[in-house]
Amino acid sequence: MFKNHLKIAWRSLKKQPFFTFLNTFGLAIGMAGGLLISLYIHDELSFDKMFADADRIHRVNADIKFGGEARKFAVTPAPMAESVDNDFSEVELVTRFRTRGSALIRKSDSEVNVKELQTTFADSTFFDMFGIELILGDKGTALKSPNTLVMTKTAAEKHFGIKDAIGQSLLMNNTETFTVTGVIDDLPKNSFLREYSIFMAMAGYEDSRVVNWGSNNYQTFIKLIPAANIDDIQQPLENFLGKYVIPGVQQFMPGITEEQFKAAGNHLIYSTIPLTDIHLRSDRVAEISGNNDIKSIYILTFIAIFLIVLACVNFMNLSTAQSLKRAKEVGIRKTLGSNKTDLIRQFLVESGLVSFGSLLLAVLTAIIALPFFNDLADKDISIPYGNPMFWLLLLLGGIVLGLFSGSYPAFFMSRFIPVKVLKGTSGSNLGGGNIRNGLVVFQFAISVFLIIGTLVVYQQLKYIQNKELGFSKDQVLVIDDVYTVGDKMSSFKEEVKKLGFVKNATLSSFFPTPSNRSDSTFAPEEGATEQENALSMQTWGVDYDYVSTLDFKIIAGRDFDRNFKNDSTSIIINESAVATIGVSPNEAIGKRYTPDMGSENPYYYKIIGVVKDFHFSPFREDIEALSLRLSDRAGSMAVKLEAGTFTNAISSIEGIWNTMAPGQPFDYYFMEDSFNRTYEAEQRLSSIFIIFTTLSILIACLGLFGLAAFNAEKRTKEIGIRKVLGASVGQISYKLSVDFLKLVVISILVSLPVGWYAMNKWLEDFSYRIEIGWWVFGLAALLAVSIAIATVSYQSIKAAIVNPIKSLRTE
Amino acid sequence: MLLQLKNIFKWVNSGGQRVFLLKDINLDIEEGEFISVMGPSGSGKSTLLNVIGMLDNFDEGEYQFLDESVHALKEKKRANLYKEYIGFVFQSYHLLDDLTVKENLEMPLLYKKVKGSERKAMVADMLDRFNIVGKKDLFPSQLSGGQQQLVGVARALISNPKLILADEPTGNLNSQQSEEIMDLFKQLNEEGVTIIQVTHSEQNAAYGSRIINLLDGRMI
Repeated sequence: MFKNHLKIAWRSLKKQPFFTFLNTFGLAIGMAGGLLISLYIHDELSFDKMFADADRIHRVNADIKFGGEARKFAVTPAPMAESVDNDFSEVELVTRFRTRGSALIRKSDSEVNVKELQTTFADSTFFDMFGIELILGDKGTALKSPNTLVMTKTAAEKHFGIKDAIGQSLLMNNTETFTVTGVIDDLPKNSFLREYSIFMAMAGYEDSRVVNWGSNNYQTFIKLIPAANIDDIQQPLENFLGKYVIPGVQQFMPGITEEQFKAAGNHLIYSTIPLTDIHLRSDRVAEISGNNDIKSIYILTFIAIFLIVLACVNFMNLSTAQSLKRAKEVGIRKTLGSNKTDLIRQFLVESGLVSFGSLLLAVLTAIIALPFFNDLADKDISIPYGNPMFWLLLLLGGIVLGLFSGSYPAFFMSRFIPVKVLKGTSGSNLGGGNIRNGLVVFQFAISVFLIIGTLVVYQQLKYIQNKELGFSKDQVLVIDDVYTVGDKMSSFKEEVKKLGFVKNATLSSFFPTPSNRSDSTFAPEEGATEQENALSMQTWGVDYDYVSTLDFKIIAGRDFDRNFKNDSTSIIINESAVATIGVSPNEAIGKRYTPDMGSENPYYYKIIGVVKDFHFSPFREDIEALSLRLSDRAGSMAVKLEAGTFTNAISSIEGIWNTMAPGQPFDYYFMEDSFNRTYEAEQRLSSIFIIFTTLSILIACLGLFGLAAFNAEKRTKEIGIRKVLGASVGQISYKLSVDFLKLVVISILVSLPVGWYAMNKWLEDFSYRIEIGWWVFGLAALLAVSIAIATVSYQSIKAAIVNPIKSLRTE
Repeated sequence: MLLQLKNIFKWVNSGGQRVFLLKDINLDIEEGEFISVMGPSGSGKSTLLNVIGMLDNFDEGEYQFLDESVHALKEKKRANLYKEYIGFVFQSYHLLDDLTVKENLEMPLLYKKVKGSERKAMVADMLDRFNIVGKKDLFPSQLSGGQQQLVGVARALISNPKLILADEPTGNLNSQQSEEIMDLFKQLNEEGVTIIQVTHSEQNAAYGSRIINLLDGRMI
């Protein structure tokens, strides 16, 4: 019987190539999309789970508000690790990372520097903490002595080949010498350590041994003993404020108590987060590597489910649409003695066949689309060909989808009553109309929702790109690592400024695009011991050309000026800082602040200017208080160019670089690109939205198309009679289309409020955001309606131009 | 006695009024009869045939088929009953377009779960008997109307039914084809198969042993 079912299924599929294609194609698109998203989500959820004791490892976080803004740090003070280890019997092991960022590296016998993008100081317990084995070197001694380092396989290969790595001597940033004492395997792509290539011994880093609870720079990881519960150390950890931090604060604010500290609206809360939660649930200052947001995982999960459900709905609609043609067959079979179960089985075999075909097509599509998807999602996902579980799940998924989407048509068709269908007439009373209409409403509601989402995300991105930043990022070239030029740094700058197409240039380590940040707390000259006067600000070291090169607007006071002798003790602050102080910009001028609180003889900075607020953090965040002061030290140089001179400029500047810093890598980037990278997550979300919206609309259209065909066929007789009675093609097409438009209008009404709510929720993450205009909903509705009209009218017109004699002859 | 209808009523409600499709039908049919049901359009001929064939329900009355009370049977039992004893022949043949002649013949046997080898033998037998061996791999659309109806009859006959119900079996055929089919019925009847046919043609009705006239759902 099964063979018979298969044979008949195959023939009836072959007989309707167009419908079979629509069916297979629609389902395959849904499955391929679902498959890709599932692979992505699986990868995201697997982060940091490969470490042996991942479930026992936690990171210590700090939530701090002291003056200024409340901030959430992924880093804690240097003595945190030791204190935790000493104070809690639950803690088995602690380890710290002190991120060093990019570093220039050269072998001691070489002149040429090579850049490593991510380096860090690490405690020697790091191997045991994460169960990392050395390929080469001795785990017992690695990272124990000062000025030793361990590198990844890839880094070792890059510099000298793995075999020769141990014992090599490296010069870092042209100053410190390190000896290689170990090589480890490359760190997994789905781990928080993925970007690190070099781990230097913490033992050689002085700052790590200073007991200073005032600065937060160390990523601190703790491993609990197997029986311990992390909740048990939460309260004692919070008590660290009174135990360790307040005594430190008392050095510059004598007599301050924990109660006073809190009464002034300040807080300092230490907490922990499980290692495996970091990637999706942590978005703090100084994360080790870019994390994702669990929200985007939810959004993608929804999209995947939408897509698959849409495809199934589509399949149901198209299958029932064909049922008219099959009604006679069902009738005959029933009179020949077939029972319902047999028929259901037969139709399920048919949908199983389609579903299986779709699955093959989907896997093929996924394989082809994977590189593009990886590009889009910034991932390195591959299809786990060797994993039987994957294939099993895939097959299971295919079967479930086949059964799920096949069941409705099967039950629907097997219910046909032979006496009725064999009369050869009207499919109009075959029933199921409400369900089919409901399915169409469902499909279109989702599509309209996705259109709204796409429009809003796109608009917000555009808003960000065009927003008044408060500085000019265009035509600005940033050259990295200018400190390698050494003493000649300022003459390098002057040389560059002489080039014809260079408008201006400035040396600094701090830029409004992602760059260094440095936070300090200032106290005013008067009332320094009153903690509510404390002013927490970004403090950026800049030069005289900084404000003019990047086009900041001075709204009160003046810019730094070489003619003023005292400007080395002057600062310029931004509007937010003025607002925190609580005076007008003009009143702020002349006030003196010190970052040297608690000292006998503090030095003061005088406010000489107020700069208009500019965005130096993503638009998700508010603009913080900030101050600029003059500094000789600089990591980078920003060069403002005439428009359209990039290529020339780069080669000319590189020429100067090579004469002044021979052997040093010439690294540069455009500020605009760096700015855009800040919004990569949103860009990615937007692209994913656009792609999957398009897919879901496509699927919804397939469904509508099928249903229109079904409807037209169902009403063949009615159309024939109407035509005989003198109805025009236009009238009939209108009549056939208008029913569908009603459905589309209902779906629009359903999805507008949902879309409005959901997208406002999304926008809430941005401190600077658009208002959703009514035109968004108008446009979404218009799009949905026009797509629906385009889809349906083909079938309607086709049905309307048929010669009535033909359609009535069957009666 | 093959079947017995007692006070059968069937109606539909239309515009608040009860319209009778069958009204007080009393009919006894013995095995081996050849009955022609006649009457004008809308007199209830096809309805009566469907009721007898258990494809359609009735609202009142009793129906005995062999030893079973059809009116008291559950849907499934009833289906089994007609699967076992009744074969249908339709005016528009109702062959399955996707299946070849051979496969069409095989279909009822599949539903009766007849074994493969036996099935083949029975199909071959039937093809032989109706002289259509040469056409066994053709699809219905490749046959003439008469040939299609021949296959239709063969299909109705293949599971050895006691009763064949034919709803205007020659309605779509020309006179020569009609005659062939009627001769075939006659011959089957002589072999012991009970036949009930609906027909408009006096000529065809004459093949039968008894004529039942219907008017507005009533036997006259």
